[in-house]
Amino acid sequence: MENQRELQLFETNQKRSRSRKKIRWTPILFLLPSIIVFFVFKYYPIFDAIYISLFNYDIINPPGRFVGFGNYEEFLGSETFWIAMKNTFIFLILSMAIVFWVPIVQALFLSNIRRFNGMYRVLYQIPSVLPIVAGVLLWKWMYNPDRGLFNYLLGKIGLGPYGWLNDLHMTKLAIVLPGFFASGGVGMLLYYAAIKSISSEIFEAAKIDGCGPWRRIGMIILPNITFVILIQFIGFMSGVLLSFDNIFVMTQGGPADASLVVALMIQKTAFVQSRFGISAALSFFMFIVIVILTVIQFRLQREEE
Amino acid sequence: MKQRGGFYKSIAAIVVAVLLVALTACGSGNKNNSEASGSPSSSSSPKASESESASESPSEEPIVEITAWDLQPADSPIKALKDAQFEEFARRYPNIKVTHIDASQTNGREKFLTAVAGGEGPDISEPAFPDMQVYIQKGIAADITDFVNSSPEKDRFIEGSFNLASKDGRIYGIPDYMYTTGLIYNKKLFQNAGVANPPATWDEFATVAQTLQEKNPGTVGFDILGMDWADWHFEYYVWQAGGDLTELQPDGTVKLTFTSDAAVKALQYYKDLKWKYKVTQKNVVQDYPDNQKDFYTGHSAMILGGSDTAAFTGNGMDPNDIGFAPFPVGPAGVAPSQVGGAFYMVNAKSSPEKQKAAFTYAMFFMSKEQQEYFYQFHKDNGLGVNPLAIVKDIDMSQYVTDVPADFLAGVLKSAENPQLEYYLKSSLSSYVVKPIQKVLLDPNSDPLTELQKAQELAQKEVIDKYNEDVLSGVAQ
Repeated sequence: MENQRELQLFETNQKRSRSRKKIRWTPILFLLPSIIVFFVFKYYPIFDAIYISLFNYDIINPPGRFVGFGNYEEFLGSETFWIAMKNTFIFLILSMAIVFWVPIVQALFLSNIRRFNGMYRVLYQIPSVLPIVAGVLLWKWMYNPDRGLFNYLLGKIGLGPYGWLNDLHMTKLAIVLPGFFASGGVGMLLYYAAIKSISSEIFEAAKIDGCGPWRRIGMIILPNITFVILIQFIGFMSGVLLSFDNIFVMTQGGPADASLVVALMIQKTAFVQSRFGISAALSFFMFIVIVILTVIQFRLQREEE
Repeated sequence: MKQRGGFYKSIAAIVVAVLLVALTACGSGNKNNSEASGSPSSSSSPKASESESASESPSEEPIVEITAWDLQPADSPIKALKDAQFEEFARRYPNIKVTHIDASQTNGREKFLTAVAGGEGPDISEPAFPDMQVYIQKGIAADITDFVNSSPEKDRFIEGSFNLASKDGRIYGIPDYMYTTGLIYNKKLFQNAGVANPPATWDEFATVAQTLQEKNPGTVGFDILGMDWADWHFEYYVWQAGGDLTELQPDGTVKLTFTSDAAVKALQYYKDLKWKYKVTQKNVVQDYPDNQKDFYTGHSAMILGGSDTAAFTGNGMDPNDIGFAPFPVGPAGVAPSQVGGAFYMVNAKSSPEKQKAAFTYAMFFMSKEQQEYFYQFHKDNGLGVNPLAIVKDIDMSQYVTDVPADFLAGVLKSAENPQLEYYLKSSLSSYVVKPIQKVLLDPNSDPLTELQKAQELAQKEVIDKYNEDVLSGVAQ
C-alpha cells in the first residue's frame, strides 16, 4: 500500500516535471519576429558601433586603421565634448523642472474630474499626434524676434522684446519650454490609469480618517504610482539625454554652442566631419551613461521599497 | 588661402575661360527674345535620330542598372525639364536602366554619407565643390581619368575645369555647373530709398543699409548669415580685409589664421553691422533659406549669394528687381568672389560596367543639345539663367536676353577676382561659426578674444591631429 502510494507520487512528479520541460512554442513563435527585428535594428547597431569605435573608420574601405581606445581618448580630451556633456545635463535638469512633472499633475486633476473626463483625455492626446518637427518649427517661428508671435503678444502687455533663440542665456530654456505645453500624451494616460487602479476603498478610508487632498496625494497616490513614475522617468531621461530633433531644428546646437548636446555632436562628427569612428565611440559612451543612470535609478527604487 | 598652388591657377583659368564665353554672350547683342510661355512644355526635349540612337546603344550590349540621385520633387520648377531629359536618356540608351532617387531633401550630405557607409551610395551624384574635395580624399569618388581622356566631349569643357576635381593628375569628377558670388540687392527698395548704385566699400555699405532701412519701413538693410553656415559668408569679409581663415603649407599641413588682422577686422565689421549700424535682422541666427525668403518677400534689401537667382525668380520675384554687384571692398581694397558649383561624381565602389554607364549618363546631360535644352527651359519659364556656362560651345547670348544688363555686368565683374573657400572648411566650420555667433549676440564680446578661443580649440581638436597625420603619411 505504502509502496503503491509512493509509486503514484513518483509518477505524478514525473508528469509535472515533463510538463515543466515542455517548450511552449506558440508564444515563442509569436515573439520571434519582434526579437529578430530587435536584434537586427537594436543590438546589431550597438555591437557594430562598439566595433567601429575602435577604428579610424574608413567608409569606403571599412573598417580602416585600428586605433584601439584612441577615439575615446580623443573625445574625452576634447573641450567641445565637455561643453556638449554639460549642456546635455543642463537640458536634463531643465526638462525635469519644466516638463517631467506636468503629466503627473494633469493626471491628478483628471482623476478628480468626472464630467467630460473622456473629452479631456482626448484633448490631451491630440497634441501628441502632431509630428515633433512640425511642432518645433511652429515654436521656432513664434520665437522669431523679427516677426514672431511671442514678442508681439508680450509687447502688448509691455514685456520684451526677448531674443529667445537669439539669446545665449535663454536658448536652452526656449528649447525646453514647448515641452511644458505639449507634455501630456501617453505619459498622462499612464499616470491616470495608475491612479485609477488604486482601490477606492483606500481613498474612502483616508477621507473618513480626515485625510485632506494634499495628504491623499502625498501618502496614497504618489507611493502607489511610484513604479510608473520610475519607468516613465527612465524613458524621459534617456529621451532627454539623446534629444536631437528639437535642438537640430531650432538651433543646430548654436548659438555659439549654447545648445550643443552629445547627440548633435555625434551627428556632426559623423556626417559633417566624416569621422564615423569617433561618432561611434561617442554613441557607445552615451549608451553606457544611460545604462549606469538607469541601474542607479532601479537600485534607489529597490532600496526605498 | 594664400598658398594653394595648382588649385588657384585652375580657378583663375576657369573663370577667365568662363568670362570669355559670357562676354561673347554680352557682346553679341542677340535681342531675339522668344516669348516666355510660362509652361514647361514650351521647351521641347531634343530627340536623337533613330540611326543615332541605334549606333549609340547596340542592342547586344548587356543591360546595366545604375542609381542616380537626381529625381526632382513634385514642386520643383525644373521637374518637367529633368523628367523629359530622363525620358530622352532612356530612349537613347536602352541598355542603361537608371533608377532616379529624390535627393533634394534637406540634409542631403548626411544622407549621402550614410548611403555610402552602408554600401548603398548612388552610382552617380552631384556634390558641390567643397564636398568634392573631401570625397576625393576619402576615396568615395571613382577615378574616371581614362573615361574622360577617351571622351571626344572632353575638349568642350572650359579650360582647366576638370582640375578642380583632380588630384595627382587623376580626374574624379565631370564639371556640372558653376556660379560666382556677390551682393544681391532689391532694386525696388533701392529706388524707394533714392540710392542709385550698390555700395562699393564697407563704409558705404553700412550707410546705404541704414538709408534703405530708414526709407523702407518694415525692412532690414542687410540679412546677415549667422546660423550653421555663418563661416560661408564670413570668409568673404576676411578676404576683403586681405586674409583668409587657413593657410595650406608647402608640406601639406595647415596653419590656422583665425586671429590674423584680417579676420579680426572682418569680425569687428560683423559686430558693427549688428550693434553699431543696426542694419541686420534681429534673428541673426536664421539659416540661409530664411535669408533668401526675406529677400524675395521684400523684407530685406541686400543679401549675399550666387549668380544663380532661381531661388528668387522661382518664388515669384521679378528678375528686373534683382541687382547683382561685386562685394563691397574691405580695408584691403579687394573683394574676391567665391567660385562654387558642382561636379558629377561616379561611385568608386560601383562595378566598372556601372561606372562606365554612370559616366555616359553624366556626359549625356553635359552634351551640347541637353545643355541648350536646359538653358532654353530656364529662359522659357522665367527661371533666371546663370550666365556662367561650364562648356565652351553654348552660345549664352541666346539665353541671357531676359537677364537685365546690369545684373549680367555685375556677375561678370564679380567673377574677375575668384577665390576658393578656405581649406578644411568642413572640419573647421563649427569652430569659426562660434565667434561669429558670439559677436552677433553679445555686444560686449571682443572679436579678437573670441577668435583666439576658437583658434586654440580648433588647433587642439582638429589641426594638431590633421597635421600629425599629414606628416606621418596617413591618408586623410
